[in-house]
Amino acid sequence: MDDPKVIYIKNCAEPPNAIAQALEDERVIISRAQQGDQQAFYQLYQQYHRKVYAICWRMLADKDSAEDVCQEVFVQLWQKIANFRGESKFSTWLHSVTNNIVLGHLRRHKNWLQRIFSLEDQTMADIAVEMPDSVGLTELDKHIARLPERARLVFVLFAVEGYRHEEIANMLGMAVGTSKAQYHRARNLLMEWIEI
Amino acid sequence: MNKLVSEQALQKALAKLPDEMTPQRDLWAGIERAIEVKTPDKPAHVTPENKVFMPTVWAASLVIAVLVTWLSFSPQFSEQPLDLAQQNNSPLTLVTAMQENFKQTKQSMLISFGQPKISALPKEIQQELINLSSAQTTIEKALNEDPSNNDLLNLLRWTQREELDLLSQLYSPKWQSI
Repeated sequence: MDDPKVIYIKNCAEPPNAIAQALEDERVIISRAQQGDQQAFYQLYQQYHRKVYAICWRMLADKDSAEDVCQEVFVQLWQKIANFRGESKFSTWLHSVTNNIVLGHLRRHKNWLQRIFSLEDQTMADIAVEMPDSVGLTELDKHIARLPERARLVFVLFAVEGYRHEEIANMLGMAVGTSKAQYHRARNLLMEWIEI
Repeated sequence: MNKLVSEQALQKALAKLPDEMTPQRDLWAGIERAIEVKTPDKPAHVTPENKVFMPTVWAASLVIAVLVTWLSFSPQFSEQPLDLAQQNNSPLTLVTAMQENFKQTKQSMLISFGQPKISALPKEIQQELINLSSAQTTIEKALNEDPSNNDLLNLLRWTQREELDLLSQLYSPKWQSI
């Protein structure tokens, strides 16, 4: 017969929690990566690069740029991972790092004509009807890629990534009203295209 | 009714969006090469001494960086030819000097990058360079009509810088091209 003390401890103990265990494992991996362990960093890459790439692809609507920026995210992550103090979930922190890098990339590479004449309202649909790298994408992703840049960014940040308009306005340096207007514009275009 | 249907269709499609996508090429190889030469930054521990010391160090570094940048770059690209042109008090000479200076800077930049072939660049980039060049020509023509127009002068300078930045981004050695 079991010792009553042991039975008591068994009953009181938390049941094995897979999520808690996974988070603890991840914490250990992050800590090792923070010490410069490349193997641990590779594990983080394996776990998150598809998510990071999806964010990059949706915001940039271009395979090559998305791949380049995804690499840039992980190189910067390697250098800055020590700044992660565990105050939020790692995935949330990485998500926000990714958004910042993508937006920085867009600011650096914005077409000069767009800067001067604000031609950003031209939809990608006007420029290229068929994307050569659209294999394997959902219909909605293909439509999102056709949206004008600002509308696309706002739509992805609001409807896909769940940011609030206040946060989006802050990230993109626009008024909250503009963010809402761009979202509605994107939504209307998408609904129109889905109908077709 | 139709709108309601498309709104529902959109919501449905949104719910089905995958939160992961797989890149077509292997990205790790490039990342690995880039991080091999870099070590992660150490976390910043702020001690009371640091609190006083750090802002001073930052301010000093900033001043040094600004001075070095100004001394290294400013006289080569902008100041010297502009000064020469301004001595002549002619806006047209100023435009000529700006273009001359730009050509020299671009040429030395291309030499430092090993005279790369522009024709080997992707078509969109070539088009971007063509656009910049044709913008410069157009602005120059406009300046012939209105030589003292400051906005046009600024625009010309901006397109020149844009072209140099683009060349620098394209040909400076960087990890993405690994």
